[in-house]
Amino acid sequence: MQDFKGKLVISTIILCLAFVALVSRLWFLQVIKGDEFESFSIGNRIRIERVPAPRGRVLDRYGRELVVNRPSFDISILPKDVEDVQALSDNLSLILDIESTKIRDKILRAARKSRFKAVTIAQDINRDQLAVIEARRSSLPGLMIEVNNLRQYPHGVLGASFLGYIGKVSEEELNANPELNWNGLVGKSGVEKTWENSLRGDDGFVQKVTDALGREVHSDLFRKDLVNKNSVPGKDVVLSIDMDLQAAAEEALGEEFGAIVVIDVRNGDVLAMASRPTFDPADFVKGIDAAKWAELLNDKNYPLVNRATQGLYAPGSVFKMVPLAAAMKEGVIDPDMRFNCPGSYRLGTHTYRCWKRGGHGSMNMRQALVHSCDVYFYKLAEKLGIERFSKYMTAFGFGQPTGIGIEERAGVAPSREWKLERFKKPWYKGETIVSAIGQGYVSATPLQVAMMTAAIANGGTLLTPRLVVKEVAFSGETTVNTVPPHGHLPVEDSTLALIREAMVGVVNDPGGTGKGALLKDIKVAGKTGTAQVISLGSQTDAKKHMDHAWFTSFAPADKPEIAVSVVVEHGGKGGSVAAPLAKRIMEYYFDLKKERDADDNV
Amino acid sequence: MIMFDRRLLYSFGWSLFFMTIAFAALALLNLYSASYQTGLVYFKKQAIWLSLGVVVMVLVSFINNKLIKRYSLHIYAVSIFLLIFVLVFGKEVAGSKSWIMLGPFASIQPSELAKIPLVLALARFYDSDYEGLPYSLLDLVKPALLVALPLVLVMLQPDLGTGLLIILISGSMILFMGVRKITLAIILAVIVGFSYPAWHYFMKPYQKSRIMTFLDPARDPLNSGYNAIQSQIAVGSGKFTGKGFMAGSQSQLRFIPAQQTDFAFSVLAEEWGFVGGFFALLLYFMIILWILDTASRSRDTYSILVCYGIAAMFFWHAVVNVGMVIGLLPITGVPLLILSYGGSSTLTAMIGIGIVLGVRMRKFPMPEAAVELR
Repeated sequence: MQDFKGKLVISTIILCLAFVALVSRLWFLQVIKGDEFESFSIGNRIRIERVPAPRGRVLDRYGRELVVNRPSFDISILPKDVEDVQALSDNLSLILDIESTKIRDKILRAARKSRFKAVTIAQDINRDQLAVIEARRSSLPGLMIEVNNLRQYPHGVLGASFLGYIGKVSEEELNANPELNWNGLVGKSGVEKTWENSLRGDDGFVQKVTDALGREVHSDLFRKDLVNKNSVPGKDVVLSIDMDLQAAAEEALGEEFGAIVVIDVRNGDVLAMASRPTFDPADFVKGIDAAKWAELLNDKNYPLVNRATQGLYAPGSVFKMVPLAAAMKEGVIDPDMRFNCPGSYRLGTHTYRCWKRGGHGSMNMRQALVHSCDVYFYKLAEKLGIERFSKYMTAFGFGQPTGIGIEERAGVAPSREWKLERFKKPWYKGETIVSAIGQGYVSATPLQVAMMTAAIANGGTLLTPRLVVKEVAFSGETTVNTVPPHGHLPVEDSTLALIREAMVGVVNDPGGTGKGALLKDIKVAGKTGTAQVISLGSQTDAKKHMDHAWFTSFAPADKPEIAVSVVVEHGGKGGSVAAPLAKRIMEYYFDLKKERDADDNV
Repeated sequence: MIMFDRRLLYSFGWSLFFMTIAFAALALLNLYSASYQTGLVYFKKQAIWLSLGVVVMVLVSFINNKLIKRYSLHIYAVSIFLLIFVLVFGKEVAGSKSWIMLGPFASIQPSELAKIPLVLALARFYDSDYEGLPYSLLDLVKPALLVALPLVLVMLQPDLGTGLLIILISGSMILFMGVRKITLAIILAVIVGFSYPAWHYFMKPYQKSRIMTFLDPARDPLNSGYNAIQSQIAVGSGKFTGKGFMAGSQSQLRFIPAQQTDFAFSVLAEEWGFVGGFFALLLYFMIILWILDTASRSRDTYSILVCYGIAAMFFWHAVVNVGMVIGLLPITGVPLLILSYGGSSTLTAMIGIGIVLGVRMRKFPMPEAAVELR
């Protein structure tokens, strides 16, 4: 018989070595790597469900809702829990009226990326669909109904140009702001964008214990390490806008392209800001579809541009207050100094025409403004010179952002340096002359014109327009938005008084260009403007070559409350087209005020 | 009739018996937790199988091993018959025809039951064929055929885990019997030479994927790597003292696959921690040590080889199963004897221990007539 003793000893040694190996591995996993695996096991069983926080509302100055939220029931699928993709797709197809293959492809595509991430199949399903799905839910494994908040605009397109729109968060936005939700909606323009951080709520979450199949488990055993976080709704943003006035302004513009800005001259509050054409923000609430987006982007009328703050126009004659104030302050003219207007002005080889071909004859300062005599301003500007002139343009707020907060353009307050930098060319005297009547390189937004008008009206304070009055948190905590003014116009009070008086004449004098804005009970002051688009005489009949009609005004003239600036693109004469619109707004404003005062007194 | 000799009781392997009972109790406790969420069905069934197993173990221990030796090849023949039977009439579960239904609630797995008959047959063959020299390549043909027959039948089901164990157990036994060095070298060379074409031409994609996944579980965390990762998370998160009985999140929330069967040890390690895992393994390896000890005390070659084969069976079940659970080896469907739910594997383990107990009782050679069954 073979002696097996030796081999048994070797076998025993192998046995012990194997034991040591297994136990060592246990030690490694459980003691050395134990904490790491423990965190894995916690992550394994806890599913975090986002609780979306409603976005803050946007309200008008009286607390009336401009933008609100409504619940949207969304259907999504968690691929890993789906038992039969084809059956599920077919069922959902019948209920939701979406092609079955589309649903299936979506689920399969999502499943390839991650079986643990839900994919949205349908957004904002209607009540009937919801009822059917709720009833059949148990036979649709993998289906989830999510309640999200969608933006709602109770007044349609009202204020869309400054309220802005929202859209799916982009890669860049996500990188810039890690607090954003990867599949959330974010403000893309206007108030929605600028006040994004206030409007956006703080999403909460609930942690749920799930088993390996993703089903929620109601067991107290693993409850102890569950953490929940309540969602905090976004802050309500209260605007300075008066919804009624806003509606009136938009109605006044009607089908015309252009903008109307109404400013409270005492504090810079933006009471109304209309821009036409505009867009429907409701198209954006679920994330805009590509075709609609392309249509908006390619629209030659630029409906997405807020003309009040982004529309750059030659201000034309509404600009004349600037050279006038500058010339007074610099001592170039005095109110009684007269210039003769023969209908044109010759500088070098070039002849600059007055809008009145026959000429105005002899004009003093007041008359020149009331009749908007171009030749008076040509002469004045020549004496003033571009250096001094451009200093005042800047002081009146041109060529720089107003600071309203939403998207705006700075426009151009031209100077020698500006031209040299922009065109690498020296400044010509003739360019000073056309600048005086708001033509040439000068460009401004309607809001800038309104802010200049407000400054003239309120005694010289160049205010920062205030669009947002306050933010109100869900807790009731209120943050008032204060905006420091830009400064004081570098002009004597007496000069401003003269200008105001002349502007009263524009509207109220028999020969004034702004008679269209005359009100019965309230004294209105204003200034018309007719900005040339392109000097192509032969084609003036074509609408797109017609002049832009301007009118800027304030009222009541002796105790100003509001400034109203109107621009109507290709509208023609400011006096006949823009001034009546301003009149309607002011009429409405004072009627409204009377009504409200009456209500207050009851 | 079993003739009783008082000496049998004196020399009964009480420690092996009680270690086995203790491990069976531990297995039941663990299964209670592992099957709690699914209504304790596995627990109840295994309780029946283990009770039955203990009875069988004791009964087997009283059978004279000379008798077993005499009928070794008959037992082997029955086992082969069952393996053929299952291929024809077996029930297919998850792609494998491995089960013979014994009614709606019970079934047997001939491949699990085939291991001991093979051990007996190999031992019997060596004992009668022994010439005292290590096996040459030619000598190996006959035992190789004995192994190949059940191996091929098992692989046809296919039951890769049992196939692997048949190779490991019989390989261990043949090495134990003695193989010439040159023969060993030739066999190793052939194995290496064949593994390349096997990988490229014969292995099924899921088999390859299991091996690839073993090498890097994170390669495919949702599919084939899932089991490996979840099992290691369960074991690791048990830390030193465990999460407590019935408090293992990985097992109670069913993140661990096949937690009543192949991955029962993960449940144990998660809930009882390193301490529990260590003691369970210690107990199991003590059982093997006792079986080897029995072999070393035995006087006849057949008994030594049988004990050694049974020790090898326990050993390889532990290495392959626990190695898989703790991520040292690829995923194969090999249970941990007694701890994993399964009637056939439990009976096999109990019969194995019963045989060893029988050998241990009769370490003094006795007159054949006194203990013979009539």
